[in-house]
Amino acid sequence: MTFYGVGIGWRPEIAGFVAGLPGLRFVEVVAESMPHAGPPPPALAALLDRGVTVVPHGVRLSLGGAEPVDGHRLEHFAAAAEILDAPLVSEHIAFVRAGGVEAGHLLPLPRSREAVDAVVANVRRVRAAVSVPIALEPIAAIFDWPDDELSEADFITEILERSDALLLLDVANVYANARNRGTDPVELLDRLPLERIAYCHVAGGDENDGIYHDTHTAATPQPVLDLIGELVTRTRPPALMLERDGDYPPAAELAAELSSIAAAAGYPDPARG
Amino acid sequence: MQHNDGMNALSASGDTWGIPGPTFLALYLGAIAVALVIVLVRRHSMAGGKTVPGADQLTAQQAAYLTGGPDQAVYSAVAALRSAGLIGTGPDRKTVPIAALPHGVPPLDTAVYRALQLHGSVRAARNDTQVRSALDVLRSDLERLGLALSEDDRRAYRNTTLLLTALFVLGVARAAFGLLGGKPIMNLLFVLLILGVVTLILRGRKPWMTRAGKRAIAGLRTRYQYLSPSQSPAWATYGTTGVAMGVALWGTASFYAFDPGFAAEAEIQRQASASAGGSGWSSDSGTSSWSGSDSSSGSSCSSGSSCGGGSSCGGGGGCGG
Repeated sequence: MTFYGVGIGWRPEIAGFVAGLPGLRFVEVVAESMPHAGPPPPALAALLDRGVTVVPHGVRLSLGGAEPVDGHRLEHFAAAAEILDAPLVSEHIAFVRAGGVEAGHLLPLPRSREAVDAVVANVRRVRAAVSVPIALEPIAAIFDWPDDELSEADFITEILERSDALLLLDVANVYANARNRGTDPVELLDRLPLERIAYCHVAGGDENDGIYHDTHTAATPQPVLDLIGELVTRTRPPALMLERDGDYPPAAELAAELSSIAAAAGYPDPARG
Repeated sequence: MQHNDGMNALSASGDTWGIPGPTFLALYLGAIAVALVIVLVRRHSMAGGKTVPGADQLTAQQAAYLTGGPDQAVYSAVAALRSAGLIGTGPDRKTVPIAALPHGVPPLDTAVYRALQLHGSVRAARNDTQVRSALDVLRSDLERLGLALSEDDRRAYRNTTLLLTALFVLGVARAAFGLLGGKPIMNLLFVLLILGVVTLILRGRKPWMTRAGKRAIAGLRTRYQYLSPSQSPAWATYGTTGVAMGVALWGTASFYAFDPGFAAEAEIQRQASASAGGSGWSSDSGTSSWSGSDSSSGSSCSSGSSCGGGSSCGGGGGCGG
C-alpha cells in the first residue's frame, strides 16, 4: 500500500489551512458532503491536482443496521469515490438509524454474532457497489452492551476477515476506550489485526465526569502520541490522519500538532515542504 | 419653370432648414447611432483600466476599499484590530482599544485604532481626519494600479455623453422650428424621448471599479474562497490577516460570522456583500452607497431584505454572482 504519511481531515472551515500544507499527501473528506456528480469542489480539485490523495469517509451508511444499507446513500458513497478517484473508502462499524429512526450520530453495536452478520452483509453490499477497498473504523464505545458475546478485538477481527475489509484504526478511540474501562491501550492494540490497517485517525478529546470523550475539538494529548509511538513499532500505517472538528486553533498550533504527530511516528512533517 | 419655382418655394418655405422631415429623421437617427457607438466604445475603453504589476497582490485594506468603498475598508480594519485582540467594548458600550498597538500594523488599521481611542465609536472613526487620509492613500493606490477610476476619469467617462446631449439639443431645435412652421413633429418627439432617456441613463452610470478591478476582486475571491462565509471559516486558524481579507471580500457578513457580539456592539452595519460582477461601491456625493446601476446583477443585493441577514448573501456569490 502506498505510503502517505501524516494527513488531516479536510473540513471547509480549515480548507485554506489544509491547502497551505506543503508536504501534505493525504486527506479525508466526509463522503456525504460530496456532490452526487460532476467535478469535485474547487478546493479539493486543487488538492487532487497537487497529487494529494482524498479519501471519502462515510458517516451515514449505518453499516451496523439490521436492514440493508440504503440504495441512494450507497450510490452517493460510490459516486464520491469516483469523483475523487480515491484509492479506498472508509465507513464506521456502527449504526446511525434503526427502524427508520435517525440517531443523528454513530452508535456502537452489541458485540454479538448477529451484529457481525449484519455488518458483514452490509459491507459486502458496499463492496459490490464501490470499486475500491473499504476500510472500517470501530467507534469509541462509552459503554458495553450487557450481553456482548465477543471481545472488542474479536468482534473487529471477525468483521474485517469475513468482509475482507481494511482497518481504519482510531488511535484516539483505542486510548479513550482503554482509559474509560481502566484497561491498557497497548494491550488492545496488540489484539487488533494491525496488518489490515489502511490508515489511522488521531485526535484530541475532553474529559467530562471522569469519562474521556473523543471530541476532536482539542489538541492530541501526549498519551495518544505515545500510543502512536507504540503502534509504529508494530506496524507502519500508510497514513496517520489528524481529525479536528471544531474549536479550531490558530494555524501555527494546528501545524505544530501535525508536526508532533509526525515526530511521534517518525514520519515526514506535512507542515514542511 | 412654374413647376420648378413651385418646388423651390415649397422647399424654402415648407421644409424646416430646407431639409424634408423624413430625410432629417433618417440623418438624425444615423447620427445618433454613430454617436452611440462612439460613446460606448470610448466608455468601454475608459472602464477597462490597465494591468499593472502588483494589481493581484492587493492588501486586505486595498481589496476592501475596492470592493465596498471606504466603509468596507474601515470595517475590515476594525475586524483585523478585533481579531488581534486590540479593541473591545468598553464602558458605555464604547468601542475602544484594550491593548497597546504593536509595530507593523497597516496605516489604516493604525489610524482606526487611534480614532477609536479618540472617539470611541466606529461610526465616528469613519469620519476621523487621520482615517480619511489613510483612506485617501488607499484610493489613490487603487487608481494608480488601474483598478479604480479617479474622480477625473469618472467625470470624463460621464462627459462622453456630451455628444448625445448635443444631438438632443439639435433635435429639440429642429422640433421647435418644425412646430413654428406647423409641421408634424410626432416622430421626432418620439426619437427625442428615447434619446433623452438613453442619455440620462448613460450619464447616471459612473463605474468605480474598472474591468481590471473587477478581475482583481474575482481573482481574490477565488484565491480566498475558503474565507467565504459559506465555508464557515475557522477564523482563529486564519488569524488577523484572514479576518481582514474575509471582511474585505465578503463585507460585514464575514464580520458577523467572525464575531457577531462585537459586530453588533460596534454597530457594524449589516450589508449585503457585493458580487464580483457587480459595480459595488459608488462614491457619488460623498456618501457611500451600493450602486446597482452598472450591472443589474447587483441590484437584488442592494435592496437588502433578502440578503441583509448575511448568510444567504455571503454564500460565496449566492447573490448576484
